[in-house]
Amino acid sequence: MNLVALALMGATALGVIGVMAALVVGRGARPVVVGALTAAGGVFGTVAGIAAMLGQAWSANLPGLLPLSGVVISVDALGGLFLAVSGAVATTAAVYGIGYSRHGLDGRGVQAIFPVFVLSLLLVPVAGSISTLLVSWELMALTSLLLVLAEHRRRAEVASAGRWYAVMTHLGFVAIVIGLLVLAAPAAGDSYPAVRAAADTLSPTVAGLVLVLCLVGFGSKAGIVPLHAWLPRAHPEAPSHVSALMSAAMVNMGVYGIVRVGFDLMHGGTRWWWLLVLALGAMSAMYGILQAVISTDLKRLLGYSTTENMGLVLVGIGASGLFASSGRPVLAALAATAALLHVIGHAAFKTLLFLAAGSVLHATGTRDLDALGGLRAVMPMTTAAFGLGALAASALPPGTAFISEWVLLQALIHGLPSPGVATSIVLPIAVAAVALTAGLSVATFVKAFGVGFLARPRSDAAAQARESPPTMLAGMALAGMASVGFAIVPTLVLPVLGRVAGDLVGTGSPVAGAVTVELVGIAGSLSPVLLAAALLAATVLVVAVPRVLVARRARRAARLWDCGAGPLSARMEYTATSFAEPLQRVFDNVLQPVQDVDITHVQESRYLVAAVEYRRRVPDRVERRLYEPVLAAAAAWGCVGRRLATGSVHRYLGYGFYTVCALLVLLLVTR
Amino acid sequence: MLSLWRKIRRTGRVAEPAPLAPAMARAAAEMGLGGSVQVRHVDAGSCNGCEVEIGSAFGPVYDAERHGARLVASPRHADALLVTGVVTRNMTEPLRRTYDAVPEPCLVVAVGDCARNCGVFAGAYGVAGAVGDVVPTDLEVPGCPPRPEAIVEALRTLTGR
Repeated sequence: MNLVALALMGATALGVIGVMAALVVGRGARPVVVGALTAAGGVFGTVAGIAAMLGQAWSANLPGLLPLSGVVISVDALGGLFLAVSGAVATTAAVYGIGYSRHGLDGRGVQAIFPVFVLSLLLVPVAGSISTLLVSWELMALTSLLLVLAEHRRRAEVASAGRWYAVMTHLGFVAIVIGLLVLAAPAAGDSYPAVRAAADTLSPTVAGLVLVLCLVGFGSKAGIVPLHAWLPRAHPEAPSHVSALMSAAMVNMGVYGIVRVGFDLMHGGTRWWWLLVLALGAMSAMYGILQAVISTDLKRLLGYSTTENMGLVLVGIGASGLFASSGRPVLAALAATAALLHVIGHAAFKTLLFLAAGSVLHATGTRDLDALGGLRAVMPMTTAAFGLGALAASALPPGTAFISEWVLLQALIHGLPSPGVATSIVLPIAVAAVALTAGLSVATFVKAFGVGFLARPRSDAAAQARESPPTMLAGMALAGMASVGFAIVPTLVLPVLGRVAGDLVGTGSPVAGAVTVELVGIAGSLSPVLLAAALLAATVLVVAVPRVLVARRARRAARLWDCGAGPLSARMEYTATSFAEPLQRVFDNVLQPVQDVDITHVQESRYLVAAVEYRRRVPDRVERRLYEPVLAAAAAWGCVGRRLATGSVHRYLGYGFYTVCALLVLLLVTR
Repeated sequence: MLSLWRKIRRTGRVAEPAPLAPAMARAAAEMGLGGSVQVRHVDAGSCNGCEVEIGSAFGPVYDAERHGARLVASPRHADALLVTGVVTRNMTEPLRRTYDAVPEPCLVVAVGDCARNCGVFAGAYGVAGAVGDVVPTDLEVPGCPPRPEAIVEALRTLTGR
């Protein structure tokens, strides 16, 4: 019995104890007990994941646990990576949840489901058979759905978000079930080795079908366009520590599923699969960040940013598969490394951002950026946390996303002389998409941070905000440390990620170096430490030198220049809407905003204006084109179906009778 | 396009030589501005006649900028204030604040008769006084409105060019 097994058992035991504790312990101590147990479980999960990444493998067969197929657990390096990420995010979220649950989320149900959700997040990457994967996947979907609905009594939108999530996650589940069952059909059993051995017997068409179905199912969980509609609804409406878990850990499972099925179980497949993955990824990245940049709801903005980041990860995965199928394993490993690093970095900064957004929501009761502002003075720690997260998310050095996107761009650019017309068209577009996404993400997070936290408060709620309790700050501090750590010394994890990625495509690690990240096989190196040091030195120089120089002269304190008129008011500030307006104008054709201007004239004269009303709405275009027709068709079908059910018992008995008769006739004819 | 270039080449430089530089104002000489004065214009309650003339003074015909005077958008950037009009009650405080917002030392030029001594508006109900009653003035340009030459001349006494 090795470390992985012990740690996993510990995590499971702690999760189960957590559930029982939630049911038994009184309301006062419940959040503390459940939070501490879940956090400890998360730590165990992380330990197990790290041990698995470092080379310890473990598998177990528990036939009695689940009827018919039993439970198969098998931990390898790839699963270990996602296990470690889930565990770490769960720890942070659980610590934060101790303080956050105090206002109305300390009910027995919510507290008991939280450890189950964490446990399911730890179970999905360690599942060793198709049936175990499906069961843990469904457990994850159901528990997260219940947690999304936690605040349904307080806000009406929660119910609508929950419905969207429930329907879409289950449609995705249906796709996964069909895909994986077709995949497992020719195999001797449903464990991964058996499926892997039998995967080559599938015809290319069937294999392609399996991949597309899995892409639909797993992609919808990862919030990939056009299956993202639930994500910007459900993530904002969930309690914030659950949002962090969903946005930083659960969406990763979609990526895990695609990698597991595409690379591991089906051995890489053909080129068009990965072109499809890459195209979907690039589209999601651009569409997600474009919606984020015009969003005025803080958590919705973060939700769209998740879609963007998962898109970038899929660009890496797609590029990796593409290079692998064109016989360039080194580049394939490099692209996969970039994708995995982005998964880790995204988990760190998105946890931080969602937790900070949760603190803002906790303190002010609103997520509307146009009603926030001025939080720097009253919530300095939260502001620092959000600022750190925003820096990491905006793909600028010294941020985590900068390094992973740099590695990704290196892989894409060095892959340009690849054979094939489609490749030579798609790769340059992918480079441009990554660059555009990085630029827009800077604008997004400048907006979120500047409008949300700096300047003057735009509402009484923002002016009267108070700093969060210590456990919430501790949760943010954990996520913040992880975010800074990965940004400055990514070399701690890169060799391991390189090995995992190398194993996927059958080659060695594509990155080397202890301080400087050096790419193996292609020219390129980057030193995050030196970069951070240089930035720090430059900042000190720019800030300190003028101070020293100016200090010699006589100084005079003067009033803030306000054009000589009255005091500056919050109404003079940039709002989130006005900040994004130029970008909205640039992307007018893509976003197609709906704007109305209503002018009311004074009764006596049409030359005098009494009031001007301006309304702007940016409907999600994908939703309007893709979902509304489907919903309308479903509603129409329902109306037609209603004619069959008139409420007459005789008629229902008749239906039963005639159906049985028809079946008997059918049997008679076919036998 | 080419014909335009040809026209420009054929016409050459037609500007008249500027009149000789006037003697530098004492306050400006003490400040040591080095021939460049950044000017912020404040309308303290003018009828806009002086504004038209200031616009003309900085236009292509009189071109005060060639003598080193430049209009700027904020008092924070300015060395001098160019104040026009009587100071109305509403503009008293903003004028004082604008004066405070200029980095020291600050020159004030009162442009037009209203700014010097309230002109035709003297004694009107909304008038707080002349510019000199609110902020210390260093230079006055008479006229209602003053001709652009007079404004340029006053500015040249500041720049010394």
